[in-house]
Amino acid sequence: MGETGAILIEVFFETIGFWWVIIPTIFLGLIVGGIPGFSAANTIIILMPLTLAMNLQTGLVFMVTLYCAARMGAGIPAILVNIPGTAGAAATPLDGYPMAKAGKGQQALAISFVASSIGGLLTTLIALATMPILARVGFYMHSVEMIVVMLFGISLIASIASQDMLKGLIAGFLGLMIGSIGTDVVYATPRGTFGFLEFYDGVPLIPALVGLFAVSEAFIIIEKKVIVTHEGDVRHSNWHDTFEGVRMALARWWHIVWTSLIGLVIGVIPGAGASIASFVAYQQSRTVSKTPELYGTGHPEGLIAPESANNGVTSGTLVPLLVLGIPGGATAAIMLVVMQFHGVSFGPSLFENQPKIGYGMFMAMAVAYLLMFLTILPLSRYMSHVTTIPTIYLAPMIISFTLVGGFVPREYMFDMYLALGFGVLGYVARRTGYHVAAILIGIILGPLLERYFLLALKKSDGDIMTLFSSNLGNVLWVALVVSLITPVVLNRRRNKAKVVRQ
Amino acid sequence: MSKTSDLSRRKFLGTSAAASGLILAAPHIAHAAGYPERNISVIIPTREGGGADRNFRAFSSIWKTKLGTDFEPGFFPGASGRVGYEVYMGKNEPDAYSLIFGNMGPEVLNWAMQPPTFDVDDYFYFGRVDTDPGCLFVGSESKLQTLDDIIAEGKKRKLNVGTSRMAHPASIGLLSLGEVTGADFNLIPLSGGKNTVAGAVTGEVDFSVLTSGSVIAAGDAVKTLLIFGENRVGERLHNAPSMNDVYGTDLPEMLSSRAFGIHKKAADDHPDRMDKLMTTFKATFDDPALLEAYVASKGTPEYLNYGGVDECAAFKAAMLELGEKYKPLLTGA
Repeated sequence: MGETGAILIEVFFETIGFWWVIIPTIFLGLIVGGIPGFSAANTIIILMPLTLAMNLQTGLVFMVTLYCAARMGAGIPAILVNIPGTAGAAATPLDGYPMAKAGKGQQALAISFVASSIGGLLTTLIALATMPILARVGFYMHSVEMIVVMLFGISLIASIASQDMLKGLIAGFLGLMIGSIGTDVVYATPRGTFGFLEFYDGVPLIPALVGLFAVSEAFIIIEKKVIVTHEGDVRHSNWHDTFEGVRMALARWWHIVWTSLIGLVIGVIPGAGASIASFVAYQQSRTVSKTPELYGTGHPEGLIAPESANNGVTSGTLVPLLVLGIPGGATAAIMLVVMQFHGVSFGPSLFENQPKIGYGMFMAMAVAYLLMFLTILPLSRYMSHVTTIPTIYLAPMIISFTLVGGFVPREYMFDMYLALGFGVLGYVARRTGYHVAAILIGIILGPLLERYFLLALKKSDGDIMTLFSSNLGNVLWVALVVSLITPVVLNRRRNKAKVVRQ
Repeated sequence: MSKTSDLSRRKFLGTSAAASGLILAAPHIAHAAGYPERNISVIIPTREGGGADRNFRAFSSIWKTKLGTDFEPGFFPGASGRVGYEVYMGKNEPDAYSLIFGNMGPEVLNWAMQPPTFDVDDYFYFGRVDTDPGCLFVGSESKLQTLDDIIAEGKKRKLNVGTSRMAHPASIGLLSLGEVTGADFNLIPLSGGKNTVAGAVTGEVDFSVLTSGSVIAAGDAVKTLLIFGENRVGERLHNAPSMNDVYGTDLPEMLSSRAFGIHKKAADDHPDRMDKLMTTFKATFDDPALLEAYVASKGTPEYLNYGGVDECAAFKAAMLELGEKYKPLLTGA
């Protein structure tokens, strides 16, 4: 404890004193996180003149709070209208949206808020306590190990496709093929771009995300009156539903703990991010579940896993930034620029020279999650009413918002057309029984897998056996095989037991 | 009193045509006189948060006071900078209200590897901001702590060396080092400066080569061992020596050099605007506030190095020549 403990206590009370920054920023973060195309990173860039004008501590609290709140906010439209605000929330609608459709949007939101807050708070405290150890994770997770981590996420395609394996695999391969569009990571040679400059940097994620999920969803819901299957359930929303959601989440506290730890560990690896963490957490959650067949139908654990994990990433991202001076993701990179303008030098010496800055960032995160829990949870009752808006109004709103969201990140008209194109693809896929999530997993994780694969091959002069050249990598390979086989074995056992009972 | 007008029909038509021409041209003339009347957009072909972002913000914070308008950066990373240039040349009007802030080193080298869809002479750089030599560095915990360690190890096995992108002046510096010492190096493109630093720090690669400004920004997580040029910052690059001093080579400085560029057509059509851009750019360098802005942003003021159209053109030509020479090694062809 000693000196560090005293600094932590002092920083905690100082951070609490910034409630007047934190609370408005939470709402700003929820809005920018919820609108596809916006994110904490580009909001910090837009507001950079304001951030630079703030004093160091205020700017720090503002950025960290915005980062956390945007992450949580991305889950709200994912649950209510099947629009993940960011790629990090792409796994959230898998079970969140079916809950909303079943008239349990309020419970789903409460579960999401509890999982996000507790997951974020817990991982922040763990990161604070174990920073020097966590910073070492990046020293062991190189391209070979990351290939296996990617395969954990990609193997989710097989889980999703379990009901119709052929269609699931076709959808997954289609996603991987779309994900391979763009220039290669070694020689920057354009591939499959069809002459479009807009594809040189790969298929942009946000248009693909909003197209496959939101636009296609708008086409589907327009055929119904409202999103919810049982209209009356939500019209009489009450506090009871919110508390029921809280109870459902708290009853699965252990699930929140370990899935958020997956997020934390993936977050500290430079270059890895929330999208990887949420898919890997969802896949692992389904693998160890006693009721895997419930995933995808509105199962609380299927919602808890990605939400805890992607909030675990936020604290993880700060670790390499503060300890090594290496930003773990886009938002951390922007924070680095802003903090450097304020004269802060990141890296190993930060905690010696400016300990209050280093600890202050984690403390700001912890306080932000605490206040988020208290301020946002009561709102779930009102937010859930979105699902009762008649679709003749909701569907055009979804399409307009999401097309704008598709445009925002790169400001290309092309991206709006692309989102519409993906919308049509998503609609056809849904109508013909292909799972859009399987396509999306391929699009998101495919390019990352390819990047690590090509780097590993380049490092080894093309020797494929390099994939089995590291001890940690081999352990991960075994874990991957076990996680793929386990559900099959468990399923057989359950079927046998059923037959015996009958 | 009955003074008849001597205005003939021909004269009338001629005068009318001239007046119409003046009226039509008036907004254009007024426009030129009032340049700039709106913000100037700047395409940056790398990601936000990197060295170019930091450099741009520091420089433009002073330049905008001279020019009397603000700059709006737009980040278009991808394909080793190619996306940003293609967007600039293909989608931005050549009206001097849009500029590109590129790195004349790696991005021009890129054209030698794979020509762009536009003619490389259809744009030119008019204002060099800095010259930043490439360097070789290791992670602070690397087993390879001296240049001798690296050369000795590189003679035993092929060392994996991180680089921001294959076509980079620092990559050419490394290939030259391999030629001089006989050490075997394998360039690994890690996509951007941050990843290149991370690669060396975490041990993904044996060591890395990169623009030294980005290495300085990485602080004490890294240790610099060699400069492919002159060490102008001494201790901040761990007093690393120049490659020419160590090995007696005559390698030209392997520089990254950030500069503002513009469509050639914009300069041809609006010489007055071009003149204003260039004079205010030069005035920015004469202002001591620029140095303060660089120091405040943790930039490297020692690398600030004014250059005009001629210096930039010479640099661009040299890079294209260097690219042609090393093309087989950098493209794997």
